[in-house]
Amino acid sequence: MQRRTLLKLGIGATALLAVAGGGLALLRPGLVNGHLTAGAQSVFRGVGRAVLDGSLPSDAIERDRALSTHLKRLNDTLAAFPAATQAELSQLLSLLASAAGRIGLTGLRDDWANASVTDIQSALQGMRASRLALRQQVYHALRDLTNAAFYSDPVAWPLMGYPGPRAIV
Amino acid sequence: MFGGPHAALPASLSCDVAIIGSGAGAGITAELLTKAGLEVVLIEEGPLRSSTDFKQRESDAYPSLYQESAARKTADKAINILQGRCVGGSTTVNWTSSFRTPSSTLSYWQQRFGLAELTDDAMSPWFAAAERRLNIGPWLTPPNENNDLLRRGAAKLGIPAAAIHRNVKGCWNLGSCGMGCPTNAKQSMLVTTIPAALDQGANLITQTQAREFELSGGKVAALRCTPVKIDGTPASDSVTRIVAKHYVVAGGAINSPALLKRSNAPDPHGRLGTRTFLHPVVISAATFDQNVEAWNGAPQTIYSDHFLDTQAIDGPIGYKLEAPPMHPVIFASTLTGFGQRQAELLRSFPQMHSLLALLRDGFHEESPGGTVTLRSDGTPMLDYPLTDFVMEGARRAFLSMAEIQFAAGARTVSPVHEMATSYTTWAEARDAIRALPMKPYVTRVVSAHVMGGCGLAGSERLGVVRPDGQHWQLNNVSVHDGSLFPTSIGANPQLSIYGLVNKLATGLVKRLNGRDVTLA
Repeated sequence: MQRRTLLKLGIGATALLAVAGGGLALLRPGLVNGHLTAGAQSVFRGVGRAVLDGSLPSDAIERDRALSTHLKRLNDTLAAFPAATQAELSQLLSLLASAAGRIGLTGLRDDWANASVTDIQSALQGMRASRLALRQQVYHALRDLTNAAFYSDPVAWPLMGYPGPRAIV
Repeated sequence: MFGGPHAALPASLSCDVAIIGSGAGAGITAELLTKAGLEVVLIEEGPLRSSTDFKQRESDAYPSLYQESAARKTADKAINILQGRCVGGSTTVNWTSSFRTPSSTLSYWQQRFGLAELTDDAMSPWFAAAERRLNIGPWLTPPNENNDLLRRGAAKLGIPAAAIHRNVKGCWNLGSCGMGCPTNAKQSMLVTTIPAALDQGANLITQTQAREFELSGGKVAALRCTPVKIDGTPASDSVTRIVAKHYVVAGGAINSPALLKRSNAPDPHGRLGTRTFLHPVVISAATFDQNVEAWNGAPQTIYSDHFLDTQAIDGPIGYKLEAPPMHPVIFASTLTGFGQRQAELLRSFPQMHSLLALLRDGFHEESPGGTVTLRSDGTPMLDYPLTDFVMEGARRAFLSMAEIQFAAGARTVSPVHEMATSYTTWAEARDAIRALPMKPYVTRVVSAHVMGGCGLAGSERLGVVRPDGQHWQLNNVSVHDGSLFPTSIGANPQLSIYGLVNKLATGLVKRLNGRDVTLA
C-alpha cells in the first residue's frame, strides 16, 4: 500500500492538512510560470542551509549570498522540468510553505526562515527514515534537487576536488 | 530541416515512411530506407545539438539532451531514469557500451515468445553489419582506474571480468560521453546514420512531438505532430499532418507505447505498455587511498557477467557489473545523506570508486516489469513496482560489489542505501548488507536502460508486434526500437537495438519496394 502511494498531493495534502489541523484556503502555488514563489524560496533556502551545511561559506553574509545564487540556479533547474513535474512540485512546495503542511509533512515546528539547521536536519532525517512513502518522496525531492542544483555550478566543484572538464584544443 | 530554430512546420507533409524518433532504431531504419530510395521524414521531440554544443557540463546536457531534464521517474518516484531526448536519442548521450544480445536472452525469447527465428546464428550477421557500420569493437586504451579497480578486485576473487566493446572512432578518452561527445568520436546516430539519411534526401523535423495517429480501417491514415519547446511543453497550437505509406514507431520505450496509447491503437490482448523493463540499477561507492577520478577517461570499459552466467536465467534475478562514470551532479544527487557528513563524503570524490549492478528483469513471473500509462496531459508515466524478488537481487548485488571493492583495496565501502554507512571491512559490510531493509526509497535505484512495452512475439496474444516488426493489428505501422524487447536484455541495449532493427528494417524495405539493401 505505502509503496503505491503516489505524490498525489491533491489527496495526500488534504489528509495531511486535516491531521495537522490546518486549512486549505490559504495555499498558494509553489511555482508560477516555472518560477519559485516567495514561499517556495523560503522552503528551499531552509532546506539548502541544512543539506549544504558544511559546503556553504561560514561567514553569514557570504552564506546568504551563496544561498541566493543557489536559489537562482534551482529556479533554472526547475524551469527545465516538464509541465507535469512542475505541477507536482508546485503543489508540494505550496504545502511545505504553509505552517500546517510543514508541520504535517516534515514535523518542523519553526518556519523555514527561523528554524535552526539542526532542527531542519532532524526534520529531513525524520522523512528519510519514515515508513510513509509520501514523506520519503518529499525527502528525496528536496534533498536531490538541492544537491543537483548546487553542485552543477563550477563554483561548487572545488568542494568536491573536481577540476572541471578537460579542455579540448 | 523543420521545427525549433529551423524552418517552420508546414500544415502537411507526405512521404513514403514517417519515422517517429531519431535514436538507435530510427537511425538504422532511416539509413536503410533512404538507401532504397524511399522518401523518409524523421520526427524528433528533442533538439538538434552537435559537438560544438557539447561543453561537457551536466547543467547544459541534462535539460537539452535528456527526457524530462534527466529527472524522469517512475510513478512512485522510486527509480530515476536516464533516457536521451535529442537528435540521436540515447545514442547521443550513452556511455558507448556495446554488447550483442546474450544467447541466453535470445533462447528465452525463442522458447517463451515464439520468436523461433531469433537464434544466435540468424542474428550474427545483423550484429556484425551494425558493428562494421558503427565502428564497434575492442577498445585498446588501458581502462581508467575506476574500471581497472573492477578488473583487479574481480581477479583477486577469481571472478571473470572482460573488456567492453565500444562504438568509437579516434576517442580522446575524455569521459564525457554522457554529455554528448565533444569530439565526434562516439559513433552515435547523430554522426552516422542520421547524416547519411539526410544526404539521401530524408527530412528531419526537430522539437516536434508525434502526438497521435489518425486511425481508419485497421490502418494509420496520418500522424498528427505539434511543435514543442525544449521543456516539452507545446510551442504553439499548430498541427502538422504527416501522411505516409508506412509509419515506423521508434521513440524509445515508454514514449513509443505512449504514442500508440494516445492514438487508441487496438490492443485486444492488453499488451501495450506492459512488460516495460529497466535493468534496475543499484550502486556501491568506495573510497581508496589513491585517486580514482571516476570522471576521467572512457566510462564502462570493464564488465563482469559472472552473476548472470552462474545462475539460471529464470531463477533468482542475476546482475551485470560495470563501473559507471561519475560527475558532480550525478554523484551529489545519487549518493545519500546531507549536511556535514555529505560535505565530507563529497570532498573525497577524487578517491571514490563506483560500481553498478544492473538487474536482469523480465525473466521470472515475479519480475513482470512496469506498465506505461498516460497522464491527463497525454504524457507517459511508467508504473514499475520494485518487487521483493527484484530487491533481493539488489541485496546480493550490494554484497558482490562490496566484496570486489574490498578485494581491490578499498578503504571503505558504502552501498548506496539510506540506512547504510561506510564500512571498513568486508565482514562488517557483509553483515550490515544482510540486515538492510531492501525496500524502495531507502534503496537508491536508478535506470539508464528502458526496454519493452511494444513486445515482439510470435503470437498476438503475447505481444504488440509481429516477428517482422509490424504491429499485430495495424498493418502500416512497425515498431523499431528498444520497446520491442519481450524481456530486458541483460546487457547495455544499444547494439541489441541496432542488430534487431537492422534485420527488421531490411525486411521492411523489401516489403515496401522490393529492394535489397545492406547497412554495411
